[in-house]
Amino acid sequence: MMIVLENISKEFNSKNGKVKAVNNVNIHVKEGEIHGVIGYSGAGKSTLIRCVNLLERPTEGKVYINGVETTSLPLPKLREARNKIGMIFQGFNLLKTATVYDNIAIPLKLLGYNKAEVQNRAEKYLEIVGLTDKHKNYPSQLSGGQKQRVAIARALAQEPEILLSDEATSALDPETTDSILDLLLKINRELGITILLITHEMNVIQKICDHVYVMENGHVVEQNNAIQLFTKPTHPTTKKFLNTISQRNLSPRLISQLHVTGAVTRLTFVGESTGQPLLAEVSQKFNVKPNILTANIIELKNGIVGNIVIHLIGEKDQVNAALQFLEENGVGIENLEGQS
Amino acid sequence: MSRLEQFTDQWLPIIGKSVIETFQMVGISLFFAVLIGIPLGILIVLTRPGQSLQNKFLYQLSNLVINIVRSIPFIILLFFILPFTKSIVGTTIGVKGVIVPLVIYTAPYIARLMESALLEVENGVVEAYTAMGIKTRSIIWHVMLREARASIILGLTISTVSLIGATAMAGMVGAGGLGDVAYRFGHLRYEVDVMYATVFILIILVQSIQSIGNRLAARLKKD
Repeated sequence: MMIVLENISKEFNSKNGKVKAVNNVNIHVKEGEIHGVIGYSGAGKSTLIRCVNLLERPTEGKVYINGVETTSLPLPKLREARNKIGMIFQGFNLLKTATVYDNIAIPLKLLGYNKAEVQNRAEKYLEIVGLTDKHKNYPSQLSGGQKQRVAIARALAQEPEILLSDEATSALDPETTDSILDLLLKINRELGITILLITHEMNVIQKICDHVYVMENGHVVEQNNAIQLFTKPTHPTTKKFLNTISQRNLSPRLISQLHVTGAVTRLTFVGESTGQPLLAEVSQKFNVKPNILTANIIELKNGIVGNIVIHLIGEKDQVNAALQFLEENGVGIENLEGQS
Repeated sequence: MSRLEQFTDQWLPIIGKSVIETFQMVGISLFFAVLIGIPLGILIVLTRPGQSLQNKFLYQLSNLVINIVRSIPFIILLFFILPFTKSIVGTTIGVKGVIVPLVIYTAPYIARLMESALLEVENGVVEAYTAMGIKTRSIIWHVMLREARASIILGLTISTVSLIGATAMAGMVGAGGLGDVAYRFGHLRYEVDVMYATVFILIILVQSIQSIGNRLAARLKKD
């Protein structure tokens, strides 16, 4: 395990007494994976990610980085451990008074690398993030996306095993967000860097995460691998987040009206079942007429998830038999209830 | 002989000497005031609650000391610390005697200006460097002071100008300087021309220091 957070809690003293920003959270990130924590602002996710490199000291619990418990390390050893953890931020946090090149070179110099190595790495990682031609510019002359690329190059130049991303795309427009996410995927695949990110945007999770944690009020309320989470969400907050990328819910009033003539069901297709014309088969085999109400397809990092909400018009026994047939063929079934 | 030649013949040696005295006083006291003021400014920033070396006692103590010294007008301070001055430099008169009060007067002022300059530096950058495992000492030097350098230069410019003002009082302990000439000859002896000449030189001096400071700060600022 590259990152293990064990029973992490963090309490803050505020005017209204103690506030538990993070409450007994467990996270396990395997080497080479990308894990994402999603939550609304105030859920405690930012405090949580800052506990990983101990920018924030957890009040309870332990942090292990690549098997070493960092929570009990003395400061010099902790600094060494931090060398292996890169971090990028929503606000980029670059030196305004230094050029793009110096923003990457200065930390390396301060970490004690020799001149040749500093130059070597600065040039190499500038090229990886695609900013070689901007090396003499100052941050104020760059766009938000370019600034984040410099920050990524700075983090990579330490040659870390882990990259922490604290809302790195939240200040960027959708197109730039996509290009930064592509870059993160690339460094994960080509350099094998393990990534833990926090975000409030479901499309970030969708595009690059292997595993997802949903946070609310300091707790992880649901966690699963990305495909499972997108196909079988259980917590209302998870469902709300899924709604932000595809309208999944019909109004209860509409469902009630449709229930008179047949069941309203959400079918979820993953992997193989996406390729078969199952709905056509259903209408031939059984005396039912499926009417598609909504449909969408979501591309995840490790697969494709299809969602169809259908209104199955027909007799109750025929409808049930049809649903059973679909379930046997690997389709996820969820009956939608109307107003009661 | 024209009137101008007559004036320069009579006063140039006196004014010239006083200019040198002013430069001496400002230069030497600025040097020591910076030596004390900049670390003191860094100290009150780093010990404040929520910062890397937070220490309530040290923070409040240094704040108190700065505020006490800054409440005393220079003319009072000059006499108030005479025994202290004597114990440090062995005399209370002349340029030597005025350096100590000038330093004590200016250092807390520089510390306050340093404080506001350093607080402008985004905490996020400091955090990013902490997250990389870089030592606090390096962060102070290569992140905080570097990012604040334009504001620091402007602060030092302001301090220098206020220091020049304070040296006008140095005549009280026989340290001379431009202010002293303006007071003794210009005011007490009704030599209005001398008053005008010294005021004119002071204006030129302050103007040029401010312009140099502004230009330097603008060049160091990159955003």
